[in-house]
Amino acid sequence: MTEQTPHTANDAVSSAAPRPLVVAVAGNPNVGKSTLINAIAGTRLQVGNWPGVTVEKKEALFEHNGRKIRLVDLPGTYSLSPYTQEEIIARDYLVKLRPDLIVNVVDATNLERNLYLTVQLMELGIPVVMALNIYDEAEAKGYRFNLHGIETMLGVGVVPTSATRRSGLTELLDKVLETAAQPADHAPRILNYGDDVETAVALLGDTLRREHPALFALYPERWLLLRLMEGDERLRQEINLAQDALPEEIFHHLRRGHGEDLEALMADARYSQAAGLAREVLFKKEERRVEMTERIDRVVLNRFLGIPIFLAAMWLVFKLTFDLSKPFGDWINDMAGGPFKHWTTVLLGLVGAPDWTVSLATEGVISGVGFVLVFVPVIFMMMFFITFLEGSGYMARAAFVMDRAMHAMGLHGKSFIPLLLGFGCNVPGIYATRTLENPRDKVLTALLIPLMSCGARLPVYVLFVGAFFPNNPGTVIWSLYVLGIALAIVMGVFFKRTLFRGEAPMFIMELPPYRMPSFTSLCLHTWEKGKHFLIKAGTYILAVSIFVWFLLNLPWGVEHKKDSYLGQAGQVMAPVLSPLGFGTWQAASSLITGVIAKEIVVGTMGEIYAPKKGEQKKPEASFGEDLQEIAVSFGKAVKESASNVVSTFGVSSLAADEKEDRGPLKATIQQTFTPLSAYAFMVFVLLYMPCVVVAIAMRQEFGSWKWFGVAFAYQSALAWGMAMIVYQGGQLLGWGV
Amino acid sequence: MHLAMMKPGQQGKIVHIGTAVGPIKRRLMDMGVLAGEPVRVEKVAPLGDPIEVTIKGYNLSLRKKEAEGIEVEVTP
Ligand SMILES: Nc1nc2c(ncn2[C@@H]2O[C@H](COP(=O)(O)OP(=O)(O)OP(=O)(O)O)[C@@H](O)[C@H]2O)c(=O)[nH]1
Ligand SMILES: [Mg+2]
Repeated sequence: MTEQTPHTANDAVSSAAPRPLVVAVAGNPNVGKSTLINAIAGTRLQVGNWPGVTVEKKEALFEHNGRKIRLVDLPGTYSLSPYTQEEIIARDYLVKLRPDLIVNVVDATNLERNLYLTVQLMELGIPVVMALNIYDEAEAKGYRFNLHGIETMLGVGVVPTSATRRSGLTELLDKVLETAAQPADHAPRILNYGDDVETAVALLGDTLRREHPALFALYPERWLLLRLMEGDERLRQEINLAQDALPEEIFHHLRRGHGEDLEALMADARYSQAAGLAREVLFKKEERRVEMTERIDRVVLNRFLGIPIFLAAMWLVFKLTFDLSKPFGDWINDMAGGPFKHWTTVLLGLVGAPDWTVSLATEGVISGVGFVLVFVPVIFMMMFFITFLEGSGYMARAAFVMDRAMHAMGLHGKSFIPLLLGFGCNVPGIYATRTLENPRDKVLTALLIPLMSCGARLPVYVLFVGAFFPNNPGTVIWSLYVLGIALAIVMGVFFKRTLFRGEAPMFIMELPPYRMPSFTSLCLHTWEKGKHFLIKAGTYILAVSIFVWFLLNLPWGVEHKKDSYLGQAGQVMAPVLSPLGFGTWQAASSLITGVIAKEIVVGTMGEIYAPKKGEQKKPEASFGEDLQEIAVSFGKAVKESASNVVSTFGVSSLAADEKEDRGPLKATIQQTFTPLSAYAFMVFVLLYMPCVVVAIAMRQEFGSWKWFGVAFAYQSALAWGMAMIVYQGGQLLGWGV
Repeated sequence: MHLAMMKPGQQGKIVHIGTAVGPIKRRLMDMGVLAGEPVRVEKVAPLGDPIEVTIKGYNLSLRKKEAEGIEVEVTP
């Protein structure tokens, strides 16, 4: 996927199957490149209505009319300048790996600014086909296009498309194949950037051809000359050209006529081509309509309402997430603990398996995975809402509203997005820091992400809140999220003053129009995000559950779990935790396993506190009855979930009474914790080190363990300190009962 | 007069991108913030920064600090 050699010309050696046609999909951010590829190739690339969703290049292979085509989704860029990571990825790909063809996705509602990139793509000398996307919205606005005009003026094929409605796709692919069949006839026009520029380019070309002819084999000629002329430092260093290797008189002449800044000169030249073209081919009515986006923004970004609305939106997301998903979580829990365990025991008994395998299967595998699966509904619900916020365009507003606050912590409004994603799972949050342009922002944001309470910590809260704060579970959980955020602010300011002194980053961002994401695409992308959690629960947490079972049951034949390996480790660590109110070996052991992934804390507790088998045997039920029971209780869960929505909005409290018992685990922890120490424990789980996957993600992003080390150190200190303050402080205030 | 001084609803024309330099200036130019371009201030964020403007028919948000580097003249 990351070949170093160009895949044109000479790698068509493997004769039998023809080499797939390599088509790069390039365009401005948020114009629907990923949506288009998903629609064409049936892939599930991530999509969202804010600039910067795709941050690395992704590929999709498919066939059209018998021809294999490889589509490469490039990150969206406004330009091919070498300043942001996305721009560098896109331009390195286009210049060095030279795709056979470029599909330039253009936002039809925003033609001029999009053409500015088109003009730059044309400099590469690669055939271009333009997908005039979001055509539906442009038509709705009353825009008309002279498509033939664009084709003749630019020398590129144009096809109107609407990726979300899947229209124009076949035509686009036909045009791609047609163009690729005769690449020589479809070279984009060479646009004239004005006499002064063109003279300078010609002169520069003569010099380079004389002195560095090899360069022209490596780079597209016009692109190379134009970039060198405008003073592209990255390119100059890449080709090892000394600053004074370029003839000074060329620049001298240009500077006299156009001022010092040749970059500005070129931006102007390219934009005037774009503007001229847009004037020629686009007809719009000159009235200024108040559009839906503007009406919504008047409220959502209002001086006084903006912040309350933002907070209320976040609150609603959490509230709905928990209320909607809880009955389903309970249902899964009942199923795993009841019929499932029961039938496994029966089946294993039938084949005459030894007792310890029954224990491993029920206590290790089913309990472990079951405890985690219980939280699948919560995670999916949360992902659903995050996907909705992304898809609707509110994310970008959130960045706009929050930028001032983020800025105070030395961050960028856009950092808000990775931080917010961190609430789902810290790992995608860490990867999303790539949307930040400046390395400093990236590291600082990534350091704070683990303070965002991820979905994996929820199981722990849900369990403890259910046991100790049944009357106001939402508020208690909310307080933990707020604590995480508050500490992120404190740590942000702290880091800004210590490790990250210096220049604060820029904030220049497009606010896209609001769009209603379609329900199918919402579900699809929710599934894609939630899948990671499922896979984790299915494989690696399964493995860990088994491992923990062994730790708990070794040395072979231990009588008490306390004497098992895990129990011994827990005993060593327990004294460190006693000032925090939970200095028991059980709590310590659970926390140790939580390092692998925080949701495992609950699984381990289940293991440790699990009742001896046999205690919970139900009266024998037939398989048929159990199946019926499963179906009936699922129906109840659906009803309960629906009535919870109603009560969320305060219409009335139809919610069914809380089922009095969610298993023996709750009862046991009620005996070993007090509400105060339970809260301290939750605070500790919120803050103590990021999980192993986050560690790996950080290492990948920053190329060393250094920043993970920093995160590990400060979080351990913070977790211990905060839990101590909560517990000791609470006791002083007399809450320790 | 610079862009950060304009009030929401006011329209103007960019005269010069002054103090902004390097990547910031380049980014602004790439996004269509060029001398001669009409610009309209739409909103100021609830916390007072950043601001939102319309330029080349789309909505752009930028901080006041960056906006201060953009010289404008107000058009009625
Ligand atoms: N109305 C309409 N909306 C579209 C169309 N194509 C894409 N969208 C929406 O535009 C938004 C951006 O889509 P993406 O596919 O994420 O855009 P992208 O170009 O990959 O964006 P980056 O990865 O940020 O560069 C999403 O909200 C899409 O639903 C279209 O043809 N019509
Ligand atoms: Mg994308």
